[in-house]
Amino acid sequence: MAEVYNWHLGRSMAYAFPEAHPQKQFAAVFNINRCIGCQTCTGACKATWTFSRGQEYMWWNNVESKPYGGYPQHWDIHILQRLDEAHQAAGKQAEWDQAQAGESAPYGVYQGLTITEAAGAEQQALGYIPPDTEWRAPNFYEDTSTGYQGDRLGISTAGASLPEHQTWFFYLQRLCNHCTYPACAAACPRKAIYKRPEDGIVLIDQARCRGYRKCVEQCPYKKSMYRGTTRTSEKCVACYPRVEGSDPLSEGVPMETRCMAVCPGKIRLNGLVDIAADGSWAEAPNHPLYHLIKIEKAALPLYPQFGTEPNIYYIPPRWAPRPYLRQMFGPGVDEAIARYAAPSRQLLAVLQLFRTTQRMIFRFEIEEGPLVLETEVNGQPWQMFNDTVIGFDAKNREVARLSVVEPIHERPAERLNSI
Amino acid sequence: MHKRSRWLGGLILLGLAATLTFFRIPLASSQGLTLRSAPVTGALPVSDPGSALWLEATAIEVPLSAQNVTRPMLPDTRVKTVTARALHTDSQLAIMVEWADETHDDSMIRVQDFRDAVALQFPLAAGQPFFCMGQQGGNVNIWHWKADWQADIAARADMNTLYPSMHVDQYPFTAAVDPLAVAPADYVDPNYLPALASGNLFASATRASPVEDLIAGGFGSLTAQAAEGQNVQGYGAWADGAWRVIFARDLTSSEAEDVTFAAGQVYSMSFAAWDGANGERNGQKSTSQWVGLQLGAQTDGAAQPDQPRPSQSSAAAPSDPLGMLYVFGPMVLVAGLIMALAGGALALSALLRPKDRP
Repeated sequence: MAEVYNWHLGRSMAYAFPEAHPQKQFAAVFNINRCIGCQTCTGACKATWTFSRGQEYMWWNNVESKPYGGYPQHWDIHILQRLDEAHQAAGKQAEWDQAQAGESAPYGVYQGLTITEAAGAEQQALGYIPPDTEWRAPNFYEDTSTGYQGDRLGISTAGASLPEHQTWFFYLQRLCNHCTYPACAAACPRKAIYKRPEDGIVLIDQARCRGYRKCVEQCPYKKSMYRGTTRTSEKCVACYPRVEGSDPLSEGVPMETRCMAVCPGKIRLNGLVDIAADGSWAEAPNHPLYHLIKIEKAALPLYPQFGTEPNIYYIPPRWAPRPYLRQMFGPGVDEAIARYAAPSRQLLAVLQLFRTTQRMIFRFEIEEGPLVLETEVNGQPWQMFNDTVIGFDAKNREVARLSVVEPIHERPAERLNSI
Repeated sequence: MHKRSRWLGGLILLGLAATLTFFRIPLASSQGLTLRSAPVTGALPVSDPGSALWLEATAIEVPLSAQNVTRPMLPDTRVKTVTARALHTDSQLAIMVEWADETHDDSMIRVQDFRDAVALQFPLAAGQPFFCMGQQGGNVNIWHWKADWQADIAARADMNTLYPSMHVDQYPFTAAVDPLAVAPADYVDPNYLPALASGNLFASATRASPVEDLIAGGFGSLTAQAAEGQNVQGYGAWADGAWRVIFARDLTSSEAEDVTFAAGQVYSMSFAAWDGANGERNGQKSTSQWVGLQLGAQTDGAAQPDQPRPSQSSAAAPSDPLGMLYVFGPMVLVAGLIMALAGGALALSALLRPKDRP
């Protein structure tokens, strides 16, 4: 075991391999608040990669309704339970020390055990293999909320109001996190799993895989999947021909993955961020992902306590109970929701960039516009400006230009009834 | 006097460990075992575990224990011993391995299903590399029999084998009329079976043998030989709570990655076994240490006289510092620990003595 630095945890941790970082890292931000649960992402992925024999239950991208849904069923509850048992056995608490938060520890310091640290001497990480029964109903509990508290007729007397709804669910969009410290790669006894130096995409070498399913067992997010037809395991490939810019449509520049590019709810923003030699994100305040994650801290990693440093980040849902969200996204939840509810001029502008182009945006510029709204958010004054955000692709070409206020086109009177 | 004898005891232990290491005297019980292959004439019973010919071979019991050197490990593996017999003609060698296994696991279709399997391992150079997967510079040739491959030869299992009521509209890029019956061979574009397209034998549309022929040089390096180099035949059958598996290959092979045999010679080999029902796969297995394999000379028509340590009689001296470290390192450590304990006890007694006699 080597010591590696995990900035999500704000500390060093044990991992199977010493630090070796890619030049760029595949990453994305998902805005849970905007997801309508339409599964277009799921279908796009399925129709691109997993429509063949033996992949029937394989959904590299899925959207599940939290708190009850999960694919495979209850995957997060299963691993959280194992992690909790390990903490109890070790007499430790899975707590965060937010007082130690700083530049290299934006959420504070995690003082509990990761799945690697809780593994013991015999395995690389805590884990389990979900049986086929847990994979084959990928959207169980769809749209199922927590228990409704109504009056005798079932009607809520108070209604639902922020900041926390009493009756709630939200959609969680999931794919492989292309982790900085992938548990699947650590788990594979024959090193058939590798992380690409050019973009940090994690792949299973189909020539070397021997179907041991250690990756299925030890990926805490359960995004390595076994294929009985080939007797090997497969996983999300991050649509690497698109990310490489080798897809004919991409005109030689990196392009968002299929699941990102089809999103009707415009909840996804996908890109490549520059990684410094020490594994930290190279400072790039005008990169939309860097801005959302590192500057605004509006988007957070999923279950950072697992310790794999996942690279899909989520803007948490404003209406869900905070203790649940803190367990899922770590201690940064309250700040992230506060920032999202009353966004800065820059954040509001960057949020417009989601799903405006298939090309990955590497840089943005903001042209300031006039003040258009003055109001109060959560008791504080808040101003909205009609700024314009411009996105640029890998070749520094303008690929997106949007204003905060959506342009309105009024139909002239003589054409009122025209289609 | 008392003190001196304790130090002497520690020194003796250390000396013993050093002597064992220097003369390579093994402590494990499977070492010193020799599987003597009986020479026979005519065809070997390569697919008949019940053949009377096997009675001509002397059976040996080989003790197995859980692999406990590298992760992942499974301390409670189920196969504790295998019985081995060997027969050879002047051109072919056959080895039969039997072991008790209450469950018959020959499917690898569902995510939670693991196969029963057994493997033989042979050093590719003179001497004995590390007994578990060889080591860098000490390659081993491995013959790996798989229960699911054996079942595939009769009828290749796929999703509809396990899920007979499944439905599918179509699988694109296949030429099959009935989508439910689609097999890897039906794919007109194998890229939709990437393991097959990359030449992974696991995904092969057809299987000629239930035995995979591999090479390894340390943990994580196991690599299948190319499809054209797969030259080990085999047959396995499960009955009454036991597997009987036969491996067969020509004595000679032109491939550098294959072990070769000659009558009258002594070789090293080791065994590994997996119980699929216990989730055993990869290094989560039962393994033996090196045992001898001696091919009786054809002219004798009988086994050679006993040779207690067959590996010692091979011409080249073993040179495997890493393997020695694994086997003898712990002994030296234990000796050191005992010395340290004895020293500590002495120091303690020296400290306490004045208090006892104020």
